[in-house]
Amino acid sequence: MNDLKQLAFQRKNKMAFLVVASVLKGVATIGQALFFVAIADRVFLQNAAFESLLPLFVGLLSAILLRAGAGYAIGRAGVNLAADVKSEFRSTLIKSFASNPLQSAAQGQSGQKVSLLMDAVDEVDGFFSKYIPQMIQTYIIPLLLLAVIFTQNWTTGVIILITAPFIPVFMAMVGKGTKKKADEKMEQLSQFSGTFLDVLQGLTTLKLFGQAEKQRNTIRKSSLSFRDSTMDVLKSAFLSSLMLEYISMLSIGIIALEIGLRLVVFDSISFFTAFFILILVPDFFNLLKDFGSAFHTARGSVSAANQLSAELEKTHPSLVWGSEKLAPEPPHLSLEGLSFQYGDDGFTLAPMDGEIPPYSQVAIIGKSGSGKTTLMQLLAGLLPQSEGRLMINGVQREKMSEQSWFDQLSYISQNPYLFAGTIRENMEIGANRQVSDAEILDAAEKAGIAEMVLALEQGFETPIGEAGRGLSGGEKQRIALARAFLKKPSLILFDEPTTGLDLRTEQILQDSLSELQKTSTVITVAHRLHTIRKADLIFFLDGGKLEAVGSHDELLQTYSLYKEMLSAQQGGSVR
Amino acid sequence: MNELKHVLKLTLIEKKDVSIAIFFGFLAGIASVALMGSSGYLISKAALTSQMTTLVVMAACLKLFGFASALSRYGERLYSHRATFTMLSHLRVSFFERLTPLAPGIFGKYRSGDLLSRIVGDVESLQNFLLRVFYPPVVLSIVFLSTIFFSSFFSIGIALVMLIGMLLTVVIVPALFSIRKRKTDGQVRAMRGSLAVEATEFLYGFRDLKIHQQLGKKEQLLKKDADQYNEGQRKEGLEENLAQSINSLVALLVSFFVLGVGAYFVAAGELEGLYLAMLVMISIAAFENVAPMAAFPAYFEESRKAAVRLEEIVAVPGAAQGIEKLPDRPLEINLKEASFSYPGETALAVDGVSLQLKPGTKTAVVGPSGSGKSTLMQLLLNVFPVDQGQLSIGGKPVETLDQEAIWQEMNIVLQENHFFFGTIRSNLSIANPAASDEEMERTLAQVQLELFPLEMKVEEKGQNLSGGQKQRLAIARALLKGKSLWFLDEPVSSVDSVTGRAIYEELFRQGHNDTFVVISHDLVGLEKMDQIAVMENGRIVEIGSYNELMKKHSYFYQLKQIENSVFA
Repeated sequence: MNDLKQLAFQRKNKMAFLVVASVLKGVATIGQALFFVAIADRVFLQNAAFESLLPLFVGLLSAILLRAGAGYAIGRAGVNLAADVKSEFRSTLIKSFASNPLQSAAQGQSGQKVSLLMDAVDEVDGFFSKYIPQMIQTYIIPLLLLAVIFTQNWTTGVIILITAPFIPVFMAMVGKGTKKKADEKMEQLSQFSGTFLDVLQGLTTLKLFGQAEKQRNTIRKSSLSFRDSTMDVLKSAFLSSLMLEYISMLSIGIIALEIGLRLVVFDSISFFTAFFILILVPDFFNLLKDFGSAFHTARGSVSAANQLSAELEKTHPSLVWGSEKLAPEPPHLSLEGLSFQYGDDGFTLAPMDGEIPPYSQVAIIGKSGSGKTTLMQLLAGLLPQSEGRLMINGVQREKMSEQSWFDQLSYISQNPYLFAGTIRENMEIGANRQVSDAEILDAAEKAGIAEMVLALEQGFETPIGEAGRGLSGGEKQRIALARAFLKKPSLILFDEPTTGLDLRTEQILQDSLSELQKTSTVITVAHRLHTIRKADLIFFLDGGKLEAVGSHDELLQTYSLYKEMLSAQQGGSVR
Repeated sequence: MNELKHVLKLTLIEKKDVSIAIFFGFLAGIASVALMGSSGYLISKAALTSQMTTLVVMAACLKLFGFASALSRYGERLYSHRATFTMLSHLRVSFFERLTPLAPGIFGKYRSGDLLSRIVGDVESLQNFLLRVFYPPVVLSIVFLSTIFFSSFFSIGIALVMLIGMLLTVVIVPALFSIRKRKTDGQVRAMRGSLAVEATEFLYGFRDLKIHQQLGKKEQLLKKDADQYNEGQRKEGLEENLAQSINSLVALLVSFFVLGVGAYFVAAGELEGLYLAMLVMISIAAFENVAPMAAFPAYFEESRKAAVRLEEIVAVPGAAQGIEKLPDRPLEINLKEASFSYPGETALAVDGVSLQLKPGTKTAVVGPSGSGKSTLMQLLLNVFPVDQGQLSIGGKPVETLDQEAIWQEMNIVLQENHFFFGTIRSNLSIANPAASDEEMERTLAQVQLELFPLEMKVEEKGQNLSGGQKQRLAIARALLKGKSLWFLDEPVSSVDSVTGRAIYEELFRQGHNDTFVVISHDLVGLEKMDQIAVMENGRIVEIGSYNELMKKHSYFYQLKQIENSVFA
């Protein structure tokens, strides 16, 4: 909770504003009571004429307006404070996401990250919009009220000083006790609350088995047991607020008795003072109680804030680039002890050495989990190596200019991402320049999607992606191919599909790649026998180690595991 | 308010709890008014006399009303929350009753998997309906009217001021803000949606963006969307703060005018000065309760939207259904020229497919992913009615048959099978409530799950089971049902090949006279099938026995060639 408070106090202007507005609200509260009592006193005991009261009414009205205005200003400051902090959280998160090269490898966690950016940040809101303003008010206004009460009747002040501390002490006591109990109950509760979702999710199954009718009672029963256990938790929460009410009620009672005694028996204070105090005291205790409920809101924010700071504290390696330009022709790549490790004890790719001459066709093979994709990411310059060097035409990758490197590179993954936009926009992203209609059509034809696209009502302007038309896996691959044809790269990284696509896409992939090979180096994570056979170089990975490098014939002769793998594939197909 | 009628009706089923809650709410409100009123009166009285009785009465009133108010508040909270949770139970049951006839077809309409969690969330958010929408205005009105009634004995003028104040704080201001809220509410929701889309694109498309050097541009867009959403939220928060401030300003102004009118009448001699403090205190106390009305517009809108969305889901009419039972003989299933597209999509998922399933034959459906295999199965099951064409079972058009009766005769294993929170036994008994433990154990052995005790816990959605175990359990469920029509959608795709093989053999052994339709992700072990339908792009491009297809050297043969050369 202290971290969040610091975030608030860093915004000195807003906090100063809150303090000033709180002081004004306190002054207005006192002024309002003062004018109220003065008017009542004059009318009731001094039989004043109505006209003579007008200045007092003006004073009262200004106090009311000031009180409402200050209340508005405090609320406004709270909302603005929350909005500012959330905005900062979001931009820091976005920055951290953007600069983390591991994101390109660990896309699986993207869902959690989206929810962090959306929900966790939203949950922080209550702390800043409700708790902080309430906290500031509680620090200031009761003190002002107490000071005024002391000047009017010091005995009342003493009574408050003795009784008021019971409220926070009691709150802390109850808070600790109920929190533990509530946590225990919560686990039980989450089971009940899941039933409805569980039954809804299984509705298809239930219908197919003719059992849907019976589930009505399950839902009712679990809802009612949910109710009963929740009520148990709530009962203790309600009881504790009942106790708070009692404490403040008792204090007010004692004060009233004391004032009454002085007023009636000893005649030592005036009606004015007595009434004045009687109006101020409940305000004092209300503020303390409000703070109690605001504290409750704050607790929810804290766990969200912990999630956020956990994400922001994660360190990740950074990618360094230089300014050397890369010539627009296939480069010579050398791996010099290139290695990578995820985190401190994550998957490790052992140091690798190898040469990839221009225009060569490389196949990377190995079981799943052997590090094929990680190697591809290293070669693409998407991940920074932990040790060793990747040399490009004899120059370290770190000295290359990022732009000229990526200008020469295409990466066709198994599941290329299509962005919300038209088909044309999704193709143009490859070229990163203005492209003519003829070029688009040409690339689409080479990638074998022209026919499909032209059959669509809106042709290349058809929206696809998130909200648009759904495309099949084969169609997505072909759009990625079209991107490559527009880009004309000199280095292509290709992740061959593991499952059978439709025949047409299979054919197109083969034809297109042999066309692209004429002008570039192609590195493939290979799953097809013919791709492996045709390769000039095969990188055989096993358990994160580069076990063998060579051509198909070389490996057949020198590396028995390779032979085994090939024959297992032939036999394994007979399932 | 019309949209919430149904919710209101469900709330009022629990008349007792709701009335008790309202009663206590009224009591709590009126006791705090009495508390303040009496202290105002007594302190005035005390200023005039020096009788001890005044003091004693004053102390007694303070205690009495104070405790009454606190206790009633406790009772109010207890009963209103109880009523709310009971209402949620009714709501869930009622919604479930209306959704059941529409399932499973309705789940095809919303392909996004979040439909269900949306339903649960919407139902959940309706818990605010009683607590914060329906209840505060009712209780407030009763408290106000009583207070006003009481005040009218002392001064009609003051009662009138309070009445106006009540109309403003309970009706007019919340209504005004509700209207404003309705205008802007959709915007923030849309901004949130667009930020979520942008963030998803940024993270999932990270690699492609990086390579195409669009990351920076996209980051700016994402920041812009985040800022926009943030500003939207800020505006929303400011609006709520404004509503709250205006409401409390009105409340303060009412006590100002009560004092003004009261002072005028006292000065004019029409009201006894003794009552002035009391009336002012009453108005302060009564209007202290209006704070919940400031939150009313937000909760009202939220409840209304939730109710509308829930209604939209179940308001669609179900597919036409007959009442005829299936004839009691082996059934032939015939699909003729069937076409189907998912709502909102122009492309046909299944395009003019005809398929005949003779009793006792075994059919395999194969093809690349996305070719329409599973959709075809959903059509054969009449989960989705065909858009064009005709499905007939046992010679009768499916529209004339009782839907539940059709499924009653089938053993179905879908690609995604649901398992409920419970035990292996409770999940198996769905298929056959009368099955004995021995039968269940025998069936488990048939799918090689004999090591699973029937008491074994199954977590929500079968999370504690592996994909292969779930598939085998689903097959066990189908075996236990023991009907003669089998529909299996990739039933062993996550099971290792040896076990998968054995399970198929077991299935074909037990059901050697049964009709089978098997959708298969691979082309292995299809030699025994009577017919193999090869699908591409929603059409059946080839159909025939294994040998026929292999001899033809056409599509199936080529797929087989590719499969042989792929290293998975």
